[in-house]
Amino acid sequence: MIFTIFKKELKDTLRDKRTLIMMLVIPILIFPIILNIFVGISSSFSEEAAQKTVKIGVVGKKDNYVVNQLEALPNEMGKKELVFYKDTLDMIEAIELDSIQIGMYFVSDFPKYMEAKSPAPIAVYFNATDMGMKGRAELYMSTIEGIATQERYIAMDLVESELRPLETSYNNIASNKEMIGKLAGGILPYIFIAFGFIGCMYPAIDLFTGEKERGTIETLLTTPVLRWQILFGKMGVVVLSGLLAASCALLGLFLSIEVLDIVDNQELLDVIHSILNFKFILLLYALLLPLTVFFAGVMIPIAVYAKSFKEAQSIITPLNIVMVLPAMVGFFPGVELNATTASIPVVNVVLATKELIAGTLDIGLLLLSFSVMIGLAVIAVVISYKRFDKETNVIM
Amino acid sequence: MIEVSDLKKEFILSRQQRKELNTKDNKAVAVDGISFKCEPGRVFSLLGPNGAGKTTTLRMLSTIFKPTSGSINIAGIDAIANPQEARRKIGFLTGSTGLYARLTPDEVIKYFADLYGISKSDFEERKDRLYTLLDMHDFKGKRIGKLSTGMKQKVSICRTMIHDPEVVVFDEPTSGLDVITAENIIKLIRDCKDEGKTVIFSSHIMSEVDLLCDDMAIIHKGKMLFDGTMDEFKGQMQAENLTAEFIRIVNASSQLKEA
Repeated sequence: MIFTIFKKELKDTLRDKRTLIMMLVIPILIFPIILNIFVGISSSFSEEAAQKTVKIGVVGKKDNYVVNQLEALPNEMGKKELVFYKDTLDMIEAIELDSIQIGMYFVSDFPKYMEAKSPAPIAVYFNATDMGMKGRAELYMSTIEGIATQERYIAMDLVESELRPLETSYNNIASNKEMIGKLAGGILPYIFIAFGFIGCMYPAIDLFTGEKERGTIETLLTTPVLRWQILFGKMGVVVLSGLLAASCALLGLFLSIEVLDIVDNQELLDVIHSILNFKFILLLYALLLPLTVFFAGVMIPIAVYAKSFKEAQSIITPLNIVMVLPAMVGFFPGVELNATTASIPVVNVVLATKELIAGTLDIGLLLLSFSVMIGLAVIAVVISYKRFDKETNVIM
Repeated sequence: MIEVSDLKKEFILSRQQRKELNTKDNKAVAVDGISFKCEPGRVFSLLGPNGAGKTTTLRMLSTIFKPTSGSINIAGIDAIANPQEARRKIGFLTGSTGLYARLTPDEVIKYFADLYGISKSDFEERKDRLYTLLDMHDFKGKRIGKLSTGMKQKVSICRTMIHDPEVVVFDEPTSGLDVITAENIIKLIRDCKDEGKTVIFSSHIMSEVDLLCDDMAIIHKGKMLFDGTMDEFKGQMQAENLTAEFIRIVNASSQLKEA
């Protein structure tokens, strides 16, 4: 009987355009679209920034050492044009008006500092809201400082290596997979949670509140099917819809990587491929199944209680924020799975998935997370059953 | 056969409902100790004004609501102790019955046949007979959302009768329907009677009751005001027509309560 109801509800759900769009179309398209736009915009910005002729304002003498070096720098480091000012006030105003992008002030006795081989003061001005200008100024100055340092070593007859008493090398023992898992692994469960929730929402409202609103539930309740069987059949479709929506979102993300070639770093691609093995996907779904059941179990009592689609939607939509917010914990690199975090619902799924990606998952903590989510899912199902069994809730 | 004895239904009122109903009582009595009997091959009509308790009574008969007290026997089955078994014997149709708009008549009928656990051969035979009887062959594969009200009503009738119920419960079946569509229901009730089924239907339209019923009961504010045959009702009439007599009985009951 449960399967008969499940089959019918699934057919009904898959014929609903609104649910279909929310469950399949949007999740599949969202990442290719967002990533394409993001990559397109950021690459056009960086290309524009690299080709842009930067006007550099200078307050000081024209035959200054730094000015000469600046002019000698090759155009490959970015095109530039020097503009001279009498005082810093005019130069700062010009930066504010964007007629120049970088300003440099050299004290009048700058050459004396250079001759005395002491640090010569230079003040560099920039507008931090003008993206990339600080970086351009730092690139020019570090190059010129490198040249000046070499010149001083030669003038002072010094060997550079003798002035460097230690040769320290820093070695990262974490694999690329672990790095990606710990630093960016939070995004995967976040996507799943966000889309899993949205995927559950429309079928939950349609199959419970909608059936009440359309007057079909009364007929269903007069058939010799037990209420828990009706609940389970419908709940199965809600859970499947959540899992489908989340899977479609992931599919969209992987299509972006594989088909649209958004990731051009071969090393990173190799890591992504090594993460996506059968065991990982199996464990991921094992974690996410009770989470989706929990989502369905939270939504169903609301959908059963609500008298109209609109009322159900207005209660469940804000709940989305409450459920999805904990998933953002996964974005903080320092937060790790331990006995405490494994006991916090939603957070435990995010952190366990991160550890799973990194390949550092402790089986005890995985079981604890799994048990917590199973426990919650069971509670949510029991509450759903109690609500659905209450005759005044089911009939308008 | 339907036998109802001392049937009572109370609803617990929430704070919101108490406020809406402007009452301090924690519960509302929808049906207050009614008893009646519906015989096979006869049509029993449950009459009453809006809010009399007709729908609640029929929902208890069809086991959607559990009575607070009393007993219900459907075709020899204790409907309170064995609601699942009782449901197999009941066909339920209301005027506000909805259908799954995204499914076709074929799919809806098959779905309900499966829920009633009908064998494939019985299903095919009954479906074919009902489709021919109701002239449904032309639209059996179209989505219900695209059908006219009359076509939808035919699908509802087919859905109600697909498991060949012994007892058929109609809750204001013609409410909101035009004359032509309502005629399908009238015909269905007559067919059920001719086939020896037990038929109970609720209504507040006296002309419809006069046309169809053999036995009748009038309920008002959950209490039984009259229970007998249509002929007995007509024999005891003090007003000039059926509608006037119905109004007279209901008003007399209200005045008695107020006194």
